[in-house]
Amino acid sequence: MCGFLLTDFRAGKPKGIQLNNRAQFIKNNSWVELAGRWILGLTFIYASYHKIISPADFAKIVYGYDLFPAMFINLIAIVIPFLELVAGFALIIGLYPRSAAIIINALLLAFVTVLAINLIRGHEFDCGCFSTGQSGYASSPELTLVRDVIYFVFGMQIFLFEGNRRSCFGRLISPH
Amino acid sequence: MLIQKTIKEIIILVAVSVALALAVNTLSPKGIGLVGQWDTAKGVITANPAGDAAGRLEEIDSVARAKDLFDKGDVLFVDARSQNHYGNGHIPGAVSLPVGQFEKRIDFFLNRYPPEQPIVTYCSGRTCEDSHELAQLLSDLGFTNVRIFIDGFPGWEAEGYPIE
Repeated sequence: MCGFLLTDFRAGKPKGIQLNNRAQFIKNNSWVELAGRWILGLTFIYASYHKIISPADFAKIVYGYDLFPAMFINLIAIVIPFLELVAGFALIIGLYPRSAAIIINALLLAFVTVLAINLIRGHEFDCGCFSTGQSGYASSPELTLVRDVIYFVFGMQIFLFEGNRRSCFGRLISPH
Repeated sequence: MLIQKTIKEIIILVAVSVALALAVNTLSPKGIGLVGQWDTAKGVITANPAGDAAGRLEEIDSVARAKDLFDKGDVLFVDARSQNHYGNGHIPGAVSLPVGQFEKRIDFFLNRYPPEQPIVTYCSGRTCEDSHELAQLLSDLGFTNVRIFIDGFPGWEAEGYPIE
């Protein structure tokens, strides 16, 4: 169960940032990589669910951020949840994991930016992260920021990981 | 090249997401238009102007008109906001019927008011659709004279009209 994918060798060895031994160990730890993909994957699939079943409510949350031109609000509300769903699903099954991690981290960066801007200007808003309910945010925006940073670190590890990735589904289509 | 491969993969993942999103949105009964109505100057904001549930009900789009109805006295104002909001201030004489608790509270309401009772619903103004939902629910139950005051409580309060 959750063995190695033997197809995942990247040409050319150590390049990029030099890390100390412990960081190197974490960066290339295949269990951390697997856990990260599942944590991010499940989180993003879960987060997409409410937005997909009630796009009108999510559109109103996007409007509430007060950052996007009216023309694009609906498009954002239609597409973002499916980006979360597809990238999350790709991470779990190990399809294009590096690219899926880039998409996830780009989304996280966007969420953090939107949250931070509204936090700084004291704009009252609903983060809409995991639900589209009317009750306002379930957790504080500060907590959401910390959580997003942790997700981002997992995403970076998946992106930087060099070696054989693990899979719980046997052979994968494209493990890079 | 790894970078080219990654870019290609990202394009594939994004294209699949966009295609899936548009397909599901088109086929789903809950789907929304590609462009919504997000200009409060034009009325209540909504992701779905075409599918507006309360499209057939009359909107009162000026606070002065709402005040006229209020002064005549035969209209019942119904507050669609949460009880908290209602408790913090509402149009005098308004009845609280939060749209989220409609089923729980509607029996009480039906016992008190006949179907011909003129009703004006309101909520938190043009960024909220609760008054529309409530108006539609009441209209579906047989109330024949239901209108929506779209500027809601914030509009009323801003004009300096009495609140309680």
